[in-house]
Amino acid sequence: MEFIDYYKILELDKSATTADIKKAYRKLARKFHPDLNPNNKDAQARFQQINEAHEVLIDPEKRKKYDQYGKDWQHAEQFENAQRQQSGAGGFAGGFGGGFGGGRQGSYSGNFDDDTFSEFFEQMFGGGGRSRGGGRGTPQYKGQDFNAELQLNLKDVYTSQKQTLTINGKNIRLTIPAGVENGQTIKIKGHGGPGIQGGPKGDLFITFNIINNTPFKREKENLYKTVDVDFYTALLGGEITVDTFTGKVKLTVKPETQPGTKIKLKGKGFPKYKKENQYGDLIITYQIKMPTHLTAKEKELFQELQKLRT
Amino acid sequence: MNLEELIATEELCERYKVEHTFIRSLSDSGILEIITVEQREYVHCDMMAEFEKMRRLHYDLEINLEGLEAVHHLLNQLRELQKTNRKLQNRLGLYE
Repeated sequence: MEFIDYYKILELDKSATTADIKKAYRKLARKFHPDLNPNNKDAQARFQQINEAHEVLIDPEKRKKYDQYGKDWQHAEQFENAQRQQSGAGGFAGGFGGGFGGGRQGSYSGNFDDDTFSEFFEQMFGGGGRSRGGGRGTPQYKGQDFNAELQLNLKDVYTSQKQTLTINGKNIRLTIPAGVENGQTIKIKGHGGPGIQGGPKGDLFITFNIINNTPFKREKENLYKTVDVDFYTALLGGEITVDTFTGKVKLTVKPETQPGTKIKLKGKGFPKYKKENQYGDLIITYQIKMPTHLTAKEKELFQELQKLRT
Repeated sequence: MNLEELIATEELCERYKVEHTFIRSLSDSGILEIITVEQREYVHCDMMAEFEKMRRLHYDLEINLEGLEAVHHLLNQLRELQKTNRKLQNRLGLYE
């Protein structure tokens, strides 16, 4: 376990006054406070160090002990025993492991785990007597909210399905309603981090990333698809078979159908979110495929048709 | 709205040792929504995390109300950017 330089953490030198410590602490806390740095583990770790440094340096007794032993803190107990044997009394009451027992003075609270002290601190000052709340009572804090992203294929969200997610080593069974949107976030209450001082657990927010690897374009509950229709069917009319999301359907193409004509297939779209048995529409756009590589005979016939039109 | 999900503002003042004007100011700034039912003011339990955060920033870090408004706005922007970033990283992962 390494020695922690609390002065360095607060960017102070050893001659710093209480006012200097408070000022430095406030300045750094404003920079690294977890509330101002959401989902930033580095800032959270840094804030815990700052809190710990403040805890020690702002308390005259703790500071005295810290300053006295400095880097030799690991030998402090031996040193104290030797001193006691020599003088018969004196030294620090409690010593290592016992702690000072006092509450935290004026330190900031945050939305993070309660276990915020380093091993170094625990060894030197003990783990007892912790309290939170910065002198404004001891309110309960809601635990940290967790954010997760779930990637699914568009086909997967056509029907409701059950999934088991592992969040922080815990399995969570969850039903994903059909028709969930790309980028949509759902909240699962009470599946976030543990509350502080008996506060409620945080929530779990799951954002869906829906990968569309189908030929359909989706806009909410409506689906869009462009379908090729050959020139002669478009001109003279006929039947074509079209793939919908759930299977094939036969469509009648009217004679003289123009490129870009849109056909709406009612109820053949995507399920409406949380509305059972309700579906959007499938909108089909016809793209007319012109014939290529015309033979001499075809060209001749088209020229004849052209003459009839002009 | 389910009354069980509402917390009376007096209770918040009492429990969190804050002045009622603080809650009122958060509401005026659009950070917190106060719901009035039969002349009694409440805050929805879903707003509690935001309220606690603002309380900490105000009382612990001594950020004034104008500062809280700016912080609230910027944190919302940050969250949106983080969300977009996460999405893009995931999408990028598909090609790596």
